[in-house]
Amino acid sequence: MKIRLNPIVKKDLQVSARSMRLSWGLFAYEALLTMAFLLALIVIQENSSYFYYRETNIYSDLIYLFPVVAVVQVCIVALIVPILTASSISGEKERQTFDIMLTTCMSPWSIVVGKVTSAVIRILFFVVGSMPIMALSFVVGGMSWGNLLLYVLAVVLLSVFSGSIGIMCSAFCKKSITAVIMSFAIYCVIYGFSFVPILITIMMTGRSAGESVLLLLFNPMVFFEEFFSLMMTGETLINDISFSRKDVGFITYHLTQSDLWVYVSAAAILLLSVVFMLIAAWKVNPMNARGGKKRKKG
Amino acid sequence: MLHIKDLTKNYGSFTAVNHLTLNIPEGDLFGFVGPNGAGKTTTIRIVCGLLKATSGSVQIGDTSAPVGSKEMKRLIGYVPDFFGVYDNLKVKEYMDMYGSMYSMNSRDIERLTVDLLELVNLSDKKEVYVDTLSRGMKQRLCVARALLHNPKLLILDEPNSGLDPRARVEMKEVLMNLQSMGKTIIISSHILSELSEMCNSIGIMNRGQLVTAGRIDDIMGKLRDDKRIHIHVASEMEPAVRLLHEQAGVVVDSVRENEIIISHKGTDEQICAMLGYLIQNQIILTGFHKEEGSLESLFMQLTGGGAA
Repeated sequence: MKIRLNPIVKKDLQVSARSMRLSWGLFAYEALLTMAFLLALIVIQENSSYFYYRETNIYSDLIYLFPVVAVVQVCIVALIVPILTASSISGEKERQTFDIMLTTCMSPWSIVVGKVTSAVIRILFFVVGSMPIMALSFVVGGMSWGNLLLYVLAVVLLSVFSGSIGIMCSAFCKKSITAVIMSFAIYCVIYGFSFVPILITIMMTGRSAGESVLLLLFNPMVFFEEFFSLMMTGETLINDISFSRKDVGFITYHLTQSDLWVYVSAAAILLLSVVFMLIAAWKVNPMNARGGKKRKKG
Repeated sequence: MLHIKDLTKNYGSFTAVNHLTLNIPEGDLFGFVGPNGAGKTTTIRIVCGLLKATSGSVQIGDTSAPVGSKEMKRLIGYVPDFFGVYDNLKVKEYMDMYGSMYSMNSRDIERLTVDLLELVNLSDKKEVYVDTLSRGMKQRLCVARALLHNPKLLILDEPNSGLDPRARVEMKEVLMNLQSMGKTIIISSHILSELSEMCNSIGIMNRGQLVTAGRIDDIMGKLRDDKRIHIHVASEMEPAVRLLHEQAGVVVDSVRENEIIISHKGTDEQICAMLGYLIQNQIILTGFHKEEGSLESLFMQLTGGGAA
């Protein structure tokens, strides 16, 4: 059976592959990761020679290469993907190609999925290109290939999430730059403000955060912190805040007592991504538009 | 082919299209005319599923599918007035992309691309990047793209705007070829002389309402009940004008150096009798002719002098 590739994905990949931006982007990305890797290696080496009386050797310390390189990679992905998708639909509007696209048999949902998928695939070029560096930090550091695969899946999840925020903003904005700014504003809300309800609940109750901690399930920053912790130590950090049943609500308590938090968080982030994409699809569908503004022409 | 019934589009308190009812028969090359802001583009965008109508219905052929549905979109090929292109995309890839958007298989797309590029005289540009084409070529490529899924109705919104004279002629040839193949075409344009040469029917819109629509010959015939006649006079003008005023049904519109322009509500025989009367009264006539009606004059008359 022949798999039909979304035409938007095909076109976006064709166009971006011929662009110099991809080559330069890949070069800058690899250079940044390599620099982070070498810097981390130097620090580990220095520490190792300074604490010569330590029982552990440099090889076991190399496991710390992983969080350093991975965090740099995650940060780059989190910054690049919204820019790619925030300029996708608004870019089509600016280029005046979007109307033609809407008159074809592509549904708004297919257009949105195509745009997010092409951004994720372009990011995967970068991620796969950085695999040798990542593999070194994994294998020398003593982590398994399975963990490496899980890590790639987590990066894909982050790409889909960031992409969905970008595409939603792109659907609402006519200009790409506005969409990019709006994307990062939503980032700030999701990444930063998900802690606010917890603080408010604690201040109001005096001690217990109740179920407000569940909001952190949607925060990719918390997800990655838990993910890295689970990979390196086999335990999550979130259970530290819920050491007592009295400190948190019933669901939060049980969710934080095992690895379940990481998987539920992944599902929650994916769900939120789908919601953002559905909003984008709804917004770009001309049949859902209200009165709107009159075009200047006849 | 296209049946628009009682279509209305409001933007807040402003009514862009006001209870428009229009029927376009199959195989027609229909010219959509009107001043800026008349509601032509709004109507076209509603038909193409790019805008939601406030009320009314649009039907293409026998299908009862709603506007904006996949079934309806398959029946329409849309060429906007201005459209951008993608950098780094070749002509054949551009066609392939849009063919795939209609779920066509790659073999059909390839075959039709060859045929359609030949139809729009772009056969030799298959491997060329779209952004390097001239404006006229891009416009013709857009027509080829709109025909890729073999739509029943081709809608062009001011396809000639911004084109040089050669590109306009080439575009006209393409459209007339398509009409001879039996395609139903709707073309909105400001270039009335071209429309009158190409179209067999027209619709004139003004302030959101359809002023008139139908066969171009019928509309031109209805243009004026009275006929404008130019009479060239070699003798004194004053007696000639006085004699014309005496005639029933004659209105003298203007008097120039050796020419009198009159409006006459009578038949051709009555016009002959009137001219004979002038000659009998020693008026020396060097010639006379009936003024031909033009789409421009019709347009000006029906839209109250609004600019096209």
